[in-house]
Amino acid sequence: MPAGRPGPAAQSARRPPPPLPLLLLCVLGAPRAGSGADTAVISPQDPTLLIGSSLQATCSVHGDPPGATAEGLYWTLNGRRLPRELSRVLNASTLALALANLNGSRQQSGDNLVCHARDGSILAGSCLYVGLPPEKPFNISCWSKNMKDLTCRWTPGAQGETFLHTNYSLKYKLRWYGQDNTCEEYHTVGPHSCHIPKDLALFTPYEIWVEATNRLGSARSDVLTLDILDVVTTDPPPDVHVSRVGGLEDQLSVRWVSPPALKDFLFQAKYQIRYRVEDSVDWKVVDDVSNQTSCRLAGLKPGTVYFVQVRCNPFGIYGSKKAGIWSEWSHPTAASTPRSERPGPGGGACEPRGGEPSSGPVRRELKQFLGWLKKHAYCSNLSFRLYDQWRAWMQKSHKTRNQHRTSGSCPRADAARREVTGPRSCQISCRSWGHPPCLMETWGLHPDWGSPLYPHLRAPKHPQQQLGWVPWFRGPRQLWPPCEATLGCTLVMVG
Amino acid sequence: MSRREGSLEDPQTDSSISSLPHLEAKIHQTHSLARLLTKYAEQLLQEYVQHQGDPFGLPGFSPPRLPVAGLSAPAPGHAGLPAPERLRLDAAALAALPPLLDVVRRRQAELNPRAPRLLRRLEDAARQARALGAAVEAVLAALGAETRGPRPEPAAAAAAAAAAAGVFLAKVLGLRVCGLYRDWVSRTEADLGQLVPGCPA
Repeated sequence: MPAGRPGPAAQSARRPPPPLPLLLLCVLGAPRAGSGADTAVISPQDPTLLIGSSLQATCSVHGDPPGATAEGLYWTLNGRRLPRELSRVLNASTLALALANLNGSRQQSGDNLVCHARDGSILAGSCLYVGLPPEKPFNISCWSKNMKDLTCRWTPGAQGETFLHTNYSLKYKLRWYGQDNTCEEYHTVGPHSCHIPKDLALFTPYEIWVEATNRLGSARSDVLTLDILDVVTTDPPPDVHVSRVGGLEDQLSVRWVSPPALKDFLFQAKYQIRYRVEDSVDWKVVDDVSNQTSCRLAGLKPGTVYFVQVRCNPFGIYGSKKAGIWSEWSHPTAASTPRSERPGPGGGACEPRGGEPSSGPVRRELKQFLGWLKKHAYCSNLSFRLYDQWRAWMQKSHKTRNQHRTSGSCPRADAARREVTGPRSCQISCRSWGHPPCLMETWGLHPDWGSPLYPHLRAPKHPQQQLGWVPWFRGPRQLWPPCEATLGCTLVMVG
Repeated sequence: MSRREGSLEDPQTDSSISSLPHLEAKIHQTHSLARLLTKYAEQLLQEYVQHQGDPFGLPGFSPPRLPVAGLSAPAPGHAGLPAPERLRLDAAALAALPPLLDVVRRRQAELNPRAPRLLRRLEDAARQARALGAAVEAVLAALGAETRGPRPEPAAAAAAAAAAAGVFLAKVLGLRVCGLYRDWVSRTEADLGQLVPGCPA
């Protein structure tokens, strides 16, 4: 009876199928009493083959009553009927099949090759396992959390796809003595990882390797040798606090606590800090923090929110000379630098004209103007022309606090209210009847920032819908404007 | 007094029967359990065929209906039997299912080791069948009907036949067992439903 012919580089590994328990047994080949049905058997049963190899199979029918022949039989593979030209009748009761250049198995339980009678009924089946032997796993890395355990992860060879179930087993042993041990807790930090929770010795090297096995063969990684003390990591530093340094507009102070889990062990820790501007994805890293638990970040932008994280590397545990493994980064902590009071760099001419009274309202207005100037102009030579432009813009866009006005044919904003929400923060909201195409716009001038920021629009969903209270500002609470800001609501047409 | 179909009255009851409200509550609870397990059994069947690959799960897939030792599908005449007899058959089938489901689970652990949900459902199904079987037997006891004695283990088959069983056959048998589990849990739900007051027969 023809058997499967695998490719030249491999042999078909036919594992004998595990026997079914005797309590559950009915063999497909045994005729059922009184059924009168034909039965058959496929050979080979459950072959294992290399991708690209060929298979010759047969379906032999045992007819009862006699008369069942191979004519009319056909094959399917994974539910799809195979072309007739792949089959041929060997004899009255045997239909052969030739498959070439096999693809990898579609499911790990095996591809279903089925022999059917003329009426489509299933006579017999066999499962094909087509794949690749495993390649050598590599890139084993291990770490110990607080010297209590060991977690390792590795990369499977051949990008992991063998089309066959491949079993990975992490093994370890003490280098100079001891027996091989097998890790038992898999998939702890990803699909190719294992965790050894206890009974690990310190001050002595371990040998660690990974064995990969499937139906077509096995492979073993290189051996990694390590001492637990050399691969220690820890939890991130807790209690990270970021605060301003007095009124210094370009600095922030970062403080944290060293990880408590290792406090009983003699070790030095080094730390890294990274920070970024609120709206950016680019982190800047401060590397040379050594074993201090505080640091001052300098050269920052004034009036800017920063996110800061800290991580720890415990090294020198019990005199180990090697660096440990960096912990995860701490949860981000945010803080903002003070807004700059000074004019922009190189703008030595950004001074109010001599003779201007320094009374309250003018001073406030100039402060606003300087803020606007920094954002929209190069502060080289101040001129009243520039100042007039700003005044014109102000009159065009926004005016005094809590003023309601119409724009175009939109109705008035009906009411406004100011809600004090904190010692230096305020929310103002407006209510009005509105209808499309009018939208409610909240606006204002922050005393420090000058031009309005974060205006908020809300559109009514249907004509005459009351818009309700529309908050002035939706940013983080610590950035809400102080109540002395000029705020208001307007119904405007947009677009 | 005749034994009426769907009735709680039994001419063989005596004073040792649980009170009627207690019995009704027990039947109601067991019926609810059977209804829930019928849903789980359908999910198990779907999960099972998904992991065996086509043609399992394809419309029109009709594998050989292999007899399973010690368990058969509910007979066509089952619904016409008296209530206690139906429940006895239900309990017997539910008691036979757990070892069969365990066998299927062990085989699937080899064939589909990366299908934890399927393996968990098979494990749960064995426990659920035991629980439902025990609940049905408790209803029978409350009815004053005798439950059957210890059931004989399914008969063993020839070692040669066992060794010849291949993967495809194992997949088909597993499908058969999951189908029987669904059929008997569904049958139990229907049989108990006829005893629940107000429940349509």
